[in-house]
Amino acid sequence: MNSLWIILRNSMYLLFSMFLLNSCSSASEKTEPKVHTVEIKEMKFQPAEISVQKGDTIVWINKDFVAHDVTEETTHAWSSSVIPNGGSWSMAVTESADYFCTIHQVMKGKIVVEE
Amino acid sequence: MKIQRQLSSLAIGIIYLATFSFPAFSQENPKLSDAEVASVAVVANQIDINYAELAKEKSRNKEILKFAETMANDHKAVIGQAAALVKKLGVTPKDNVVSQQLLADAEKTKSTLSSKNGKDFDKAYIDNEVAYHKAVISAVEGLLIPETENAELKALLQNILPALRTHLSHAEMVQKQF
Repeated sequence: MNSLWIILRNSMYLLFSMFLLNSCSSASEKTEPKVHTVEIKEMKFQPAEISVQKGDTIVWINKDFVAHDVTEETTHAWSSSVIPNGGSWSMAVTESADYFCTIHQVMKGKIVVEE
Repeated sequence: MKIQRQLSSLAIGIIYLATFSFPAFSQENPKLSDAEVASVAVVANQIDINYAELAKEKSRNKEILKFAETMANDHKAVIGQAAALVKKLGVTPKDNVVSQQLLADAEKTKSTLSSKNGKDFDKAYIDNEVAYHKAVISAVEGLLIPETENAELKALLQNILPALRTHLSHAEMVQKQF
């Protein structure tokens, strides 16, 4: 009877430990930042709209033969420097934003931070 | 009445530029070799660089100056791409009737622009940029690409079209301020 109790108790410990381990693992998957890519080609941001989690990083890669930049549109809150042909620029995202290229002001993009 | 006359003149000017900047394009397309197509491409880009340099000298308008800087840099980049390709292909750009007519028309336009100052210059410059880019896009699509035999030269011409269309949209956006 005593040994049966020990086996039962240990099994409970094991199940509880597995539950904890699984919970930690799920939490870590949820918060692991991801890296997203936006290509600048044919004078467009591709994709023009991108959905990310807060803390994710976006890398813009310039595949055009002319230089571009990436600048927050409303207040110019953030901006890359000039990204030459073949160059790239990355930023960790903290909030949703509309952005554009100040060199070619008709080129526009959008970042949506999913809650 | 005076404004109406000016608008009529402007409309005629735009129609003239769009139709006759590439004279052969308006009537019967000339037969161009790849070397001649390369020459037309380089000349057409150099003309817009020259307009941009004039704007940088004469204008004090922030939007005009920024647009002119973009035109100068982008069209220099196109010439750089064209130069690298013709070197790779072993082709020497060859002067021809289209590039000669382009240069002759550009001289007249530059002379007209040079005679203007202040807001009149800014408006004339951006109006010309709209008309010139429309004419160049039409010519690249309707004359230069169909005439080109070499696949790499054809691809280069196709690759510059998105930039030309973006320049046109940008010019039209700036034009709304005048």
